[in-house]
This record gives sequence, structure tokens and C-alpha cells, in this order.
Amino acid sequence: MSTLIKKRQLLPGDTGKFAGILSGFILLLAVLPILTMIVMSFSGASNLDFPPSSYSLQWYKAAWHTFVSPDASDVLSLGQAMSTSLLVSCLTMVFATIIAVPAAYALTRCEFRGKAVALQLMSLPLVFPMVVLGLALLLVFDSLPFHMTTSRLVIAHVILALPFVVKNCTAAMLSIGSEVEEAAQMLGASPLRAIVDVVVPLMKSGILAGMLLAFIVSFNEFTVTYFLYTIDVMTVPIWMYSRTVSSLDPTVFSFAVLIVLIDFVLIWALEKLVGEGGVSF
Amino acid sequence: MSGLILENVEKHYGSACAVTDVNLHLPEGKLVCFLGPSGCGKTTLLRMIAGLETLTGGEIRLDGEDIGNTPAHLRNFGMVFQSLALFPHMTVGENIAYPLKLRGVSKADQQARVVELLELIQLQQMINRPVAKLSGGQRQRVAIARAIASHPKILLLDEPLSALDAKLRESMQVEIRQLQQRLNITTIMVTHDQREAMTMADIVVVLGEHKVQQVGTPIEIYRHPANEFVADFIGSGNIFPATALGNGKVSLPGGDALQVPICSSIVVGEKVKMLIRPEDLQLSAPQATAGNRLLGKVTFVRDIGATIETTVECSGVSFTALSTPCQGFGLSVGHPVSVTLPVEACRVLGA
Repeated sequence: MSTLIKKRQLLPGDTGKFAGILSGFILLLAVLPILTMIVMSFSGASNLDFPPSSYSLQWYKAAWHTFVSPDASDVLSLGQAMSTSLLVSCLTMVFATIIAVPAAYALTRCEFRGKAVALQLMSLPLVFPMVVLGLALLLVFDSLPFHMTTSRLVIAHVILALPFVVKNCTAAMLSIGSEVEEAAQMLGASPLRAIVDVVVPLMKSGILAGMLLAFIVSFNEFTVTYFLYTIDVMTVPIWMYSRTVSSLDPTVFSFAVLIVLIDFVLIWALEKLVGEGGVSF
Repeated sequence: MSGLILENVEKHYGSACAVTDVNLHLPEGKLVCFLGPSGCGKTTLLRMIAGLETLTGGEIRLDGEDIGNTPAHLRNFGMVFQSLALFPHMTVGENIAYPLKLRGVSKADQQARVVELLELIQLQQMINRPVAKLSGGQRQRVAIARAIASHPKILLLDEPLSALDAKLRESMQVEIRQLQQRLNITTIMVTHDQREAMTMADIVVVLGEHKVQQVGTPIEIYRHPANEFVADFIGSGNIFPATALGNGKVSLPGGDALQVPICSSIVVGEKVKMLIRPEDLQLSAPQATAGNRLLGKVTFVRDIGATIETTVECSGVSFTALSTPCQGFGLSVGHPVSVTLPVEACRVLGA
């Protein structure tokens, strides 16, 4: 009897401690690369030794310099890459949402043949090897009779972002009963008007979450973009990579810190917007 | 002919039949209840009238005009759903003004109508409240106000009170009924609660087994059920088999003869079902069988305070009699007792 009581008192504490250690370890694994990068960006040395022998802001100065007056050795300035990145991300966000909202509506409200297959296909880009996808898209775009630059990046990114947006919109749709829509119709709204007035506002948090995720996915995308960029149109991740292969200098770490900051702000905004509703990645 | 007319209305889902052969005339200004057990097709019928469900056969006419193919949003019918379906992203005022906004009513007129309706449902202070902050009964009232805001031709209520607790439901029944009479609006209500139907309806349509079983006033339905289904579904009743002897006499399974109202459609020797309501049975001290007074034996007593239900076995039939405590005379299981079945209280239900 006494051992039983002892066990009961011990067990929950034990599990809690174990869970704490485990989650701490996982968190460390996730944060370690970012921490390394942040430390390196403050390096005072001119090589890539870790940990740095001294600390300074020299790489931030260099980064700022690159940003405002790019030297001739760079094929493209960071400013140009940044504006391409922002343009591609914004377009991806808009198009992915325009496609995903009706798709989510159809997937929840309508019954059609091959619905299960459609749902499976929707998440295919998540499991498809990125390199293969990039190569396939390159083949497709190159076989087209006309030349595409920014637009092919947008198309590729929409394909990659779509599963996230559709998933979030579908989750939001599932919580909306069909009765509110019917109620709007009974009150005089046409079926389309009922969707615009009632369904979309109720889906709002899901749509916003999906939009932000699409932006983040597009802004950080590297592998597929690597196959599709052209010499005069490249995104920030490609620009950074091209800089590290030609001459590995710690300036990229300062840029990376900037990008991580942007991502953090976006994810924080996402959590704020969606609140307890939760985001499905 | 004015009012709503349903002619041979039917709905099939593939080979499954939801409701068939519905012929009804719903007069203007009345409250009609579709009453039936779950799965009898009553909600399907209401949704067809609303325009949310297509007919697979028959016609629905409103004031002589066929509306069977008119989409729901052009019918101008108000509807209160089982879940109420208030818009959670709008305030009370916005919810009620929504049908007016759709009809292009000016902002000032919208406001005036909202205020008028809120006064009617006595929620004047709630105009800017989000609907999530209302109690169950308040939401109920807002849903009704929203449904009648655009002066609909017909008000449809789909089990609107099922989400409320028993006490609130009783008072809302009275409130809705009074509102309906004040506005004189044709109303169709779906319910599976016969007490609710009896309280509120001018006309009760009993639905069962995908068909209309009987149409009549609540008292007609209760007093003169058309068939065994209605007799069994409405109220509690003693339904028992008998054999017609002619001349308004039937014989019970135990051999005793019973005088009942003369029913011309029954031929001698036919097996029939009889109904007598528990409150019509009279219990008395045991005496010899004479006329409609039979001698029996108590098999169960259920004393629930306000009423006493006594189950008596006599002439091969188990009758349940309802009496008030002051009528009771301390019966207990095994006691002999006399049961009187008044002639006019006996109903022949047909085969």
C-alpha cells in the first residue's frame, strides 16, 4: 500500500522532469545553428573559426556597405535580390490564397469523385524531393516557347506554399457549420454573397495564417529556386549562397541574422493573429 | 387559393425515400407544427419549403404561384435554425440588420427597424453586444428577430428550442406563440416534442414513416387519432386489440364485451385496435362486471406525487389508468379493482 502511494507521488514529477530534459534538448538542437550564426556575425576575426577569437561589429559594417554601395565584383546587389524576394513572396502569398480559399471550400462542402485523391495530391509537394521538383520545373519552363523570369519563381513557390495555405483554410472551414451559410441565404443573400459575407469572415484567421505561412515559405525557399533563378533575377537566399561559394566571408552571417529576425517577427505576428486557434504547418 | 399549398410533394435520395405523398394546405396567419419522431422527414419537408432542398416530385405553391424552383434567397421566408446560426462575427444589431442591408434599405431605416425589433424582443440594451456574449434565451430571441426583420411571408422554425433547458423552453414556447399571434405571421414549426406542438400550434401535421399521418387541431389529434401510429405517438394511451361484434359492441381478448361508439366502416368479426386514454379510465372498488365496468387486478403502481399511474390487468389487457392523489384509494399490487371505460372515451382505430 505504502509503495503504491509512493509511486503515485513520484510518477508525475518524474515524467515532468523527463519531458523537461527532452524538450530542452530538442529546443537546443533547433536553436544551436541560429545561435552559432549570431555569434559568428559578431566575430572580430577575418576567418571562419568558431568560436571567434575576438568580437566586433565589422561584419555588420561590411554588410551595410554592401547594401548601400555594392562593389563591382557582385553580379547583383542585395537590394535588388531583396526586392525580388519581397515581390515573389507577396505574389506567392496572394496567388496561393486566391487558389486555396475556394479549394478549401470545395474540399469541405462538396462531395465529388476522387476527393480523397485530391486531398492526397494537395500535400504531395510536402513529401516530393525538392531537387527533383526543381529539376522538373526547370525542364517544363525551358520547354516553353516564351521566356519567364520572376513569374516562374512565383509559380514554383505557389506550388510549394499551397499545401500550407489549403491546410489552414480547410481547418478554418471545418469549424464553420453549413447552417450559417444557409441562414444567410434565407435572409436574402445569394449563395456567393453568403460565402463572401459569412464564410470568408469566419475563415479570416485561417486565411491570414495561410497567407503568412505562404510568405515565409516563399521568402526562405532555396532548393527549387536554385534551379529556376536567372543571373539578373535572384532571391535573397540565392544571393547569399552565391556569395558564400565565391568567397566565404562572414558578412552573410549578418544578413542571415537579419533574415532570422524577419522570420521571427512574421511567426510572432502569425501567433498573435491566429491566437488560440492554432496554425497547422 | 391563398396560403401555402403542398401537392404530392416528395423527396428521394437515390432509392431512399425521405418523405412522400405530402398534400397540405397551410392557411395564412396560422402556426402549423410538423410533429413526428426523428427521421420521419419533417425537417426535409421544412427545408423543401425553405428552398434549401430540391423537390424530386410535386409542387409547392404560395398564393397560387409555383415556388418549387425559386432559390432560397429569393423566397423571402424567415427561418430559425436548430443551431440558430447567428453570425458570430457580427453584433446583435448587425445580425438583425443583415437581411435589411441585403435589400438595400437605408442605414437610418435599418437602424429604426432594428430598434423596433429589439423592443419587441425586449433586448434594447444589447444592440452592440457580440452574439457570443448572450445567454441561450437571448440568442433565441435575436434569431427570431433576425428572421422576421424583412417582413417575411412565412416564418420557418426548425426545432428552435431544442438547445434550451426544459424550463426556458416552456416559457419560450409561450413567448414565440404570443409573438406569432401578434404579428399574425404564417409559421411552420418542426418539432418532435408533442407537448410543444400542443402548446403552440393551430394545426398539427403528424408525420411518420415518411408520410403525413394526420392533420388537425391539437385536440382533434389527441382525441380522435386517425390511426394507431398517431394514437401511439401522441400522448400515452392504452392501445388494445378487440373483435367487432356489431351494434357498437366489441369483445376483448379475455371475452368481456365492451360498448363503444358505433363505427360504420367496421364489419362484424373484424379484428380492430382500440384506444382509451389513461385519464379517461375510472377506477373503483371491486364490483361484479357490468356494462363497461370490468373487474381486474392491480399489477403495478407508479406514484409520482402529482399523479398516480395504476396498471390494471383485466380481460387479457393491461390498462394504465391515471388518477390524482385525492381520487386514489390506496391501491397496491395484487388488489382487485373495477375499471370503467366510458363509451365515448373508447376509440376504434381500424385494423
